[in-house]
Amino acid sequence: MDAEMEDAETRAEIEWDGGGGGADAVLALAAGGASVSLCYHQAFGRHDDLVLLEAADDLLPDLLQGRVTIRGRPDEEAVLCTPSATYSMKFVGTSNSVFLIPPGEPSAPCLRPDNTSGDANAADAVAAAIKLAPGNIELVRTAPRLDKLRSLLRERPYTLDEDLGDGFQHKKGLYTWQDLCKLIQASDGELLDGLNTLSAVEIDGFWRTVDATSMNTILDMILHNSVLHDWPLNAVPENDVLSVMESDGFAHKIVTHCLNRFGTKVEQEGRSFWSLDEKCVCLQFARRVLGAGKMKLANFMDKWKRSVPSGMRVDLQMLEGEVLYDKLGAETWVHAFSVADLPLTPAERFAALFRERLKWEWKDLQLYIRDLRVPGVSSEGLLIKYTRRTQPSSEAEPIFTAR
Amino acid sequence: MEIRVRCGCGDSSCPEWAVVELQGAVQPQASFSGDIRGLHIGRLCSAPSPSSSKGGYTFTVGYHELAGTKVTLKKPLLVLRKKKLTGGAADQETPTAEVVELEVIGVIRHKILFKDRPKALISKPPTKEKAAVQPAAN
Repeated sequence: MDAEMEDAETRAEIEWDGGGGGADAVLALAAGGASVSLCYHQAFGRHDDLVLLEAADDLLPDLLQGRVTIRGRPDEEAVLCTPSATYSMKFVGTSNSVFLIPPGEPSAPCLRPDNTSGDANAADAVAAAIKLAPGNIELVRTAPRLDKLRSLLRERPYTLDEDLGDGFQHKKGLYTWQDLCKLIQASDGELLDGLNTLSAVEIDGFWRTVDATSMNTILDMILHNSVLHDWPLNAVPENDVLSVMESDGFAHKIVTHCLNRFGTKVEQEGRSFWSLDEKCVCLQFARRVLGAGKMKLANFMDKWKRSVPSGMRVDLQMLEGEVLYDKLGAETWVHAFSVADLPLTPAERFAALFRERLKWEWKDLQLYIRDLRVPGVSSEGLLIKYTRRTQPSSEAEPIFTAR
Repeated sequence: MEIRVRCGCGDSSCPEWAVVELQGAVQPQASFSGDIRGLHIGRLCSAPSPSSSKGGYTFTVGYHELAGTKVTLKKPLLVLRKKKLTGGAADQETPTAEVVELEVIGVIRHKILFKDRPKALISKPPTKEKAAVQPAAN
């Protein structure tokens, strides 16, 4: 833009009342020689408070009905969130002159450069441009940024013996739904999914994870009471288990949360029962056994089989995405390596995977990347971007290394 | 931080804004030194386009004429206005923290696009034609 334009823009900007542009006259121009006189609005200027946002038709209803928020801290790139999706916001500049003409009747006539009012054609309608748009914001569907959620909830997991005081310092490391909405760059739906994935529960208005020791204690007590009261593990009566557990000093909400994590609720003849999931329960016991560190597979299997409740059968397939096997000579060793502990962004996920192992076979690698969701990018696309594939022969299994 | 996007106009009655887009920059005449606010830019006319069935447009800026067309945007543009609301929540460290809100004040579904170079309108000065002197018939 030339000096005069810049000069005009640096002068004190006139407050714009929101109208007086004559857009209707421009939009109504039809074939047949009609004309409109275009001029700079009396309040023409930079108007940085006005922004253009590109919105696909499927997004318009959410935007026009106030179901949209922009989330992010000053040091983060902002994202736009609908109730169910997250979009990154990119400013796309233009070198063209884009005159923005608001609706409403223009309040003043155009002024000619020689300071005379009116136009050659006095019958012309008038339209007034309020600003030159430097570009617009483009929305691109993106994955929710949930890594931060995990770290926030890990600050202060719920423990069975905790006592929350009333003082503000006791609330440190605790987050309400409103807090999380302000801190996490994800839509409400995606945030709720993230909380469910992390097995979080709302306790006294704060979203928390339950620490592993406490969860183990509650699960052990449920299993112990099932044996004691002859409750089948696929039909634990809800009212009975809750009353027994509450009499033992366990909070109703935490017991329900534990049952929800390790089982599914079923209704039979007007009564509620909980069916404990064999895989979830066995996996929890496997994690306990592997808490001791790397061990021989045979030793692990033996300990694992002996630790699970009677009637439940263990299977190595239950451990997909939870453990890694290493062949050392004739022996196979096993150690915990859970997909749930890995970063959620592709770049960081692959970096963590290649820190753990320099070379990955596809059968192992796919278990650790299948949960990655990047809108518009397939698993193959991610592999091309972050890995190098080698295959000595067409029959051989492909090997993936860091790119 | 969370910024709410609000729309006071509702789904169907969102006022439509107009956009006139041209390549390059529009400059006032060199002799002009005043404020450009309120200044006439040019004359926008609808004209039947010989090259297409759709109606065309001409935009006359000074001694330049541009030819363009009306384009329907693949994705509509929303015009948002930033509003600062004072008075933060009670639990904030600074109770008078500014709360920002974005209000949808309009929608842009079309633009009149002039993407070609302007045509100069200055014509040659008129030349006097000599009248052919014909001999009178006797």
